Amino acid sequence: MSITINIWINEERYAKLQKAGLADMAEEVLAGLKVIKVPCTEEQKDKVLKVFPTAKYDSATTKSIELLPREVKDKIFDLVVEKQSIDIMDEFLKNY
Amino acid sequence: MTYIGHGGKEIVERVLEPEKAAEAIKGLTPVPIRGQIAREIIDIAYGFFTPLEGFMTRADVEGVCNEMKLANGILWPIPIVFDISTEEINEKGIKEGDKLLLTYQDKPMAILEVEEIFTYDKQEMALKVYGTTEDKHPGVARTYNYKDKFIGGKITLVNPPKINPPFDEFFFTPKQMRQKFAEKGWQRIVAHQTRNVPHTGHEWLMKGAWLSAHGELPVEKTVTGVLVNAIIGEKRKGDYIDEAIVLCHDVLRKAGYFREDVHMTSITLWDMRYAGPKEAVFHAILRSNLGLTHHMFGRDHAGVGTYYDPYDAHRIFDQFPEDALNIKPVRVLAWWYCPVCGEVTYSGLCGHKEQSQNFSGTLIRSIIQDGVKPPRLIFRPEVFDLIMECAEKYGFGSAFVTDKYLKERNPVFTLPDMKY
Ligand SMILES: [Zn+2]
Repeated sequence: MSITINIWINEERYAKLQKAGLADMAEEVLAGLKVIKVPCTEEQKDKVLKVFPTAKYDSATTKSIELLPREVKDKIFDLVVEKQSIDIMDEFLKNY
Repeated sequence: MTYIGHGGKEIVERVLEPEKAAEAIKGLTPVPIRGQIAREIIDIAYGFFTPLEGFMTRADVEGVCNEMKLANGILWPIPIVFDISTEEINEKGIKEGDKLLLTYQDKPMAILEVEEIFTYDKQEMALKVYGTTEDKHPGVARTYNYKDKFIGGKITLVNPPKINPPFDEFFFTPKQMRQKFAEKGWQRIVAHQTRNVPHTGHEWLMKGAWLSAHGELPVEKTVTGVLVNAIIGEKRKGDYIDEAIVLCHDVLRKAGYFREDVHMTSITLWDMRYAGPKEAVFHAILRSNLGLTHHMFGRDHAGVGTYYDPYDAHRIFDQFPEDALNIKPVRVLAWWYCPVCGEVTYSGLCGHKEQSQNFSGTLIRSIIQDGVKPPRLIFRPEVFDLIMECAEKYGFGSAFVTDKYLKERNPVFTLPDMKY
């Protein structure tokens, strides 16, 4: 299982994805709530944890980076939509 | 109105009137206590822990550890002890027969009658109660943190705490709670134990438990209720903040997901031991003292890590005779979301295991953390909005406990000033 940042997709975000033709990116997890799993390499994960000290890596269960500030997740989501791709972490981390 | 509690013993309130209290504490040796002990004093003094009228003596602890019984033979699973260091005992010249003035928040709180000073092997206590000696287990760690001696003896509250908002409207003593139930005309009341803000999985657990408890009773009048009893005690970083837990449960009724006449929210002060099955029995005793008739137990009740099988807390109720408790366990499996059924449904009924989607705690926390409003089938919008509001109002921006919350939150209760 690879390392991910989970971006939760509610109706509002799903509408944005649909508009960009990216609805297929989201997989359903619970009762209509969807998720986009943005992949991170080991190095990207380390940099994320360094740049955002509140963040934690859940190595035990979900292999995801949790507790990122909300605005950061918003930015990651926007970048996914803009680049029409989930492989955006290098691009994202350039600014930090 | 009868006030018979656990073990068939009458619920006794050990609280002195103010004038008598001021007189009674004159000249007593003050001993400052920590939060856990203060909370347990409130529990003992108002009868939440009936038949206990004080902290346990060695015979009680021995009985609890070895046979899950008090010295008087009444079922009891977890030691309730007052710990103190040998240094403090020597320094203050404390001896059996003394009375001590226990102080908290620098105010007088209670009198402890020193009936017995004793030692107990903490490792043995941990192993017998928790089934492990690993200090990774939070209950074991709590046991190891006890000081080296214990004092057994009765306590008397001399300075009743003022419960602070927003908790004040949810705190009821066992006697008050029974009066409430009588006013509501409830004959059966089922407990929902919680330390969570409720998603619809919890909501359905409660609704299912209500149906089970209600059983064969007539339906024209409401005679069965759900009591949410939130455990309020020592917080750990990452827990839901207390205010969000209590207020979000209450809004389920206010917003109509439960009828006004079938649901009530309340709190009990208690520091979770995470003793799994033993804690389930303890919770049953606590709620029977509050006058409840049924107690819902879900998956992995009061468990931690992988120390207990998820249904140990169900099976333990088969280990003693039914009349050892005045409350019946309602044993339930999880509710899940099924995309085939198109609803939140009971895993013991739905045959679409392959397609089912679970309410994972980690998932729910992550959604709340991100503030992404989930579908109403997961969180009622009123609940979700209130979580966010509580985060701002009480949690310094977070729905989860942070260092700042631990340091700066408004205390759940305050001891008033007392002249003596
Ligand atoms: Zn189904």
